[in-house]
Amino acid sequence: MVAKKRKKNLNFFERIYIVEIIKGMILTLKNMFRPKFTMEYPEVKFEPPASYRGRPVLVLDENGVERCVACGLCSRVCPALAIEVQAAETEYEKERYPEKFEINMLRCIFCGFCEEVCPEEAIVMSKDYELVYTNREDAIYGKDKLLVPIEQLRDRIEFLRKFK
Amino acid sequence: MPKIILDGKEIEFKPGQTIIEAARDAGIDIPHFCWHPKLSVSGNCRMCLVEVEQMPKLVISCATLASEGMVVHTSSPKAVEARNAVMEFLLINHPLDCPICDEAGECKLQEYAYAHGRGESRFEEMKVRKEKRIQLGPYIKFDAERCILCSRCIRFTDEIAKSHQLTFIKRGDKVTITTFPGESFDNPYTLNTTDICPVGALTNQDFRFKARVWEMSKTNSICIGCARGCNIEIWVRNNQILRLTPRYNEDVNSYWMCDNGRLNTFKFVNSDSRIDGPFVRRNGLLEKVSWEEALSEASNKLKKYKGNEIAFIGSAYATNEDNFMFIKLAKLLDVKKVMFARHIKEGDQDDILIREDKTPNSLGAELIGLMPINENLLNELFEEISTGKIKVLYIIEDDIFGKYENLKELAKKLELIIVHATNKNITTEFADILFPASTYAEKHGTFVNFQGRVQRIRPAVATVELDRALDGMSMSRWDKFGTPFDRWMQGKKYDAKPSWKILTSISTKLGLKIKYEMAEDVFEDIANTIDEFKGLDYDLISNNGIKIKNKAYEYIK
Amino acid sequence: MNIWELVIITIVKILIAITTLLLSVAYMVYFERKISAWAQNRLGPNRVGYKGLLQPFADVFKLLLKEDIVPQAANKTLHTLAPFISLFVAFATYAVVPIGPSINIFGKEIKLVAADVNIGILYVLALTSLGVYGVTFAGWSSGSKYSLLGGIRSSAQMISYEVSMGFSIAGVLLLSESLRPIDIVNAQYGWMWNAILQPIGFITFVVSAFAETNRLPFDLPEAEPELVGGYHTEYSSFKFAGFFLAEYANMIIASCLIVTLYLGGWQIPYIDKLGLNATVTTILQVGAFLFKTAFMLFVFIWVRWSIPRFRYDQLMNIGWKVMFPLSLVNIIWVALLIMIFKI
Ligand code: SF4
Ligand code: SF4
Ligand code: SF4
Ligand code: SF4
Repeated sequence: MVAKKRKKNLNFFERIYIVEIIKGMILTLKNMFRPKFTMEYPEVKFEPPASYRGRPVLVLDENGVERCVACGLCSRVCPALAIEVQAAETEYEKERYPEKFEINMLRCIFCGFCEEVCPEEAIVMSKDYELVYTNREDAIYGKDKLLVPIEQLRDRIEFLRKFK
Repeated sequence: MPKIILDGKEIEFKPGQTIIEAARDAGIDIPHFCWHPKLSVSGNCRMCLVEVEQMPKLVISCATLASEGMVVHTSSPKAVEARNAVMEFLLINHPLDCPICDEAGECKLQEYAYAHGRGESRFEEMKVRKEKRIQLGPYIKFDAERCILCSRCIRFTDEIAKSHQLTFIKRGDKVTITTFPGESFDNPYTLNTTDICPVGALTNQDFRFKARVWEMSKTNSICIGCARGCNIEIWVRNNQILRLTPRYNEDVNSYWMCDNGRLNTFKFVNSDSRIDGPFVRRNGLLEKVSWEEALSEASNKLKKYKGNEIAFIGSAYATNEDNFMFIKLAKLLDVKKVMFARHIKEGDQDDILIREDKTPNSLGAELIGLMPINENLLNELFEEISTGKIKVLYIIEDDIFGKYENLKELAKKLELIIVHATNKNITTEFADILFPASTYAEKHGTFVNFQGRVQRIRPAVATVELDRALDGMSMSRWDKFGTPFDRWMQGKKYDAKPSWKILTSISTKLGLKIKYEMAEDVFEDIANTIDEFKGLDYDLISNNGIKIKNKAYEYIK
Repeated sequence: MNIWELVIITIVKILIAITTLLLSVAYMVYFERKISAWAQNRLGPNRVGYKGLLQPFADVFKLLLKEDIVPQAANKTLHTLAPFISLFVAFATYAVVPIGPSINIFGKEIKLVAADVNIGILYVLALTSLGVYGVTFAGWSSGSKYSLLGGIRSSAQMISYEVSMGFSIAGVLLLSESLRPIDIVNAQYGWMWNAILQPIGFITFVVSAFAETNRLPFDLPEAEPELVGGYHTEYSSFKFAGFFLAEYANMIIASCLIVTLYLGGWQIPYIDKLGLNATVTTILQVGAFLFKTAFMLFVFIWVRWSIPRFRYDQLMNIGWKVMFPLSLVNIIWVALLIMIFKI
């Protein structure tokens, strides 16, 4: 293989890089006195925008029923195999509902595929990024933790309708 | 043989075959809904339209006889356009139900819509609404909206089940399927319509919403409901059987199986009454012990008795391998009485599939060398037990005490009862040593059906000693990527072993020199020692079974 | 001065030296983290204690409380020995660094150096070469390919740069005509700092010092992206802490040496002309030494966040084809200086 020629032939002073090194160091030095970006987390909290992908949650419709019909598509598409759904029959028109819906938050990689594939707009990515558990069992979120009233998810759903 | 040219390829056909049949034999699938190889041609779905040169219009390939030199195009622009148009028509009123439809994943409409659909609808009006939850029969739910009116189910009841129970009613977009007034769709074969229904209009009530088809693994096996031995697939998720479906085998069951077999032959596998680990009676109570302990106990106790003090009762539910090892042990102990019980349900037989003999392997048991219990043999047994001549009973995989109630009385006279059983039953209550046997869904083995056909069963459900990956069992995606921490991998595994394995261990303890690692090794021995099985092996039996040589067995009662 | 006095004074000096060194190492870590954070517009540690000042102790406790894992394939003895060699070398070098001129306490004149060795500079060179062993042992004994590669790189790198380091020092020795650190400092009276008299030597020495301490841009022995952790990949808990401490101790010593050899040690130019009281002068001078060292340490960290790591071939190229010839040029330059001005 022929080595690629440099576009520009550097002269001696450029090649010893002293000037460049000094420039670089001055840049670093300047940065040390710039304002800081750090948010001091427990006191100051990051309020994510609608495009943020926090933990996936299930939408609880206005009438207090989950939208999910337990079709299992999210479970199928999930690249991390995080979702486990068990369907059962309901009296409602949509015929089925998830008797069990579990997301293993240790497996979830927050890719948002589940949200994208859901035919019912029933699973969406929330803004919740505060996920703490102290053992494997706690990391498996059941319906109790997953169901979130739709009011809290409005802007994500709007975002999805606009951009999905 | 005459030939037609299909999409530029020359294929042969048998005179009298239609284009679709000829194509199918050549391995080419022409899209279709209403045509079914085992049903009459109705030609109403128009999906199988193909272009035949020199014919003025497109023709339906299911009703057009192939003739020498015919030139057929299945994917010419005209044919494709016609197919797409048919799809569009079908989808006009078809609900967007796939997410809640059990058929999704194995639905012809879904597949063809994917291949031939437009991807969007030009139809702006409301779809026609029909009733969605009609209880057509005891096991079947009918969704009228999803029905594409192919009439497969009607033709099935007319031609195969011969019960003439279903029909179309009404006209135009109101057409729907129903039973005759006051009748329920309840022949013994109804659930086959859920298999042949190309969409999810007819669904199995028992399996309804239990799982999506892609979540399960499927294993080729044999139904144990009767001596027909229908070929089936066992569908498993989380180590639990969720449904059985028939598997095509022209010589045994074609595409069908009966409702009883489909619904009632798998639930015991995952039931609470399973025996989990070996038990030994201590102070009058059955106590769970280790395998080693139970096996030594059994061999030590058996050693104390003479051959003529022991009676062995094998089983027509057990595989040939199990029964063969049973006889080996009997020979080792010099036991003469080696029998098995038949389970005949008089009159419950038809000329479609169902047989009176409700066991899958009675012919096999007989061929292996067990004596079928008849009146004389039974009386003799009772007699000898009551006089105290027979002191030991060894029963495998059959509820003998449940069948012959007299034995309950005589049990007091017996000094030792060893039982292999899959589930708790009356016999297990009397056992002194109780071994947990693997069910037919947890082991390899062979059955011989009433026609003399040897057929294989394979493990679909893992027991403690089985590992899906290492033992080559079929695996779903979930099985492949699961870890012990995932809930879907935590399905109950029972601590059971196939009877032949238990018997082998006892025999070795009693000094017999055999080394069977797998059921296949036992079968090899069977093939070497028993004439009828000569030359057979698991590979030959394969998926479709093979007829036993020399004799044309027809089961005689 | 009888022998006992000498022993006691020396022990006290050693204790003071070690304590200050340890403390400064701890706070070195703290400032390294702080300055890194600032360079990246972050805040850095600020939770443990006021402004995070207790962070170093939290770090140390965390390390000590961790499980000590020794890989099965490791050579247990050497694996355990390696961090101690590194630590020992780092601390021992400190003995000959003078932080100020003599001071009078209770009528005794005490030199502000733990050991006023007349071949101090040779001693430093000898010990730094020993330092290679710690790293090489660690790499070899871990039984891991990453460690081994790290160890090999490290020995090659240190040996290569030691050459130019030695030659740079030769220039200093020519001017001071002594191997004793105190003499070297005294020779840099006024503005006669070696950094000014022999800038080339200064540069080669600083670069070699960076290489010797395995600091960026020469941290190839532990290059994380390629070698996981380099020679200390398989170390955890206390032993890891050993390497960690040694690295920072080395940095401090390198800074001290740079200051002593090139930046006039404790000298404040012409401070004696001010006519201050002797004690005050000494204190100011010690302060000057500390300030200079601190500045060098800051440069170490500053460079770390400004200059990317070299490729291994580049590292060797620079070592042999640039630094080594430059240090030779420096000797000639110094020789010329002496010829012209002193004869
Ligand atoms: S894809 Fe949507 S409707 Fe289907 S199971 Fe998942 S959340 Fe429920
Ligand atoms: S976000 Fe991605 S990984 Fe997480 S549950 Fe959804 S599909 Fe699975
Ligand atoms: S029948 Fe097929 S196409 Fe219709 S809803 Fe069911 S899966 Fe979908
Ligand atoms: S129910 Fe199924 S099989 Fe029967 S006509 Fe409708 S689509 Fe065809």
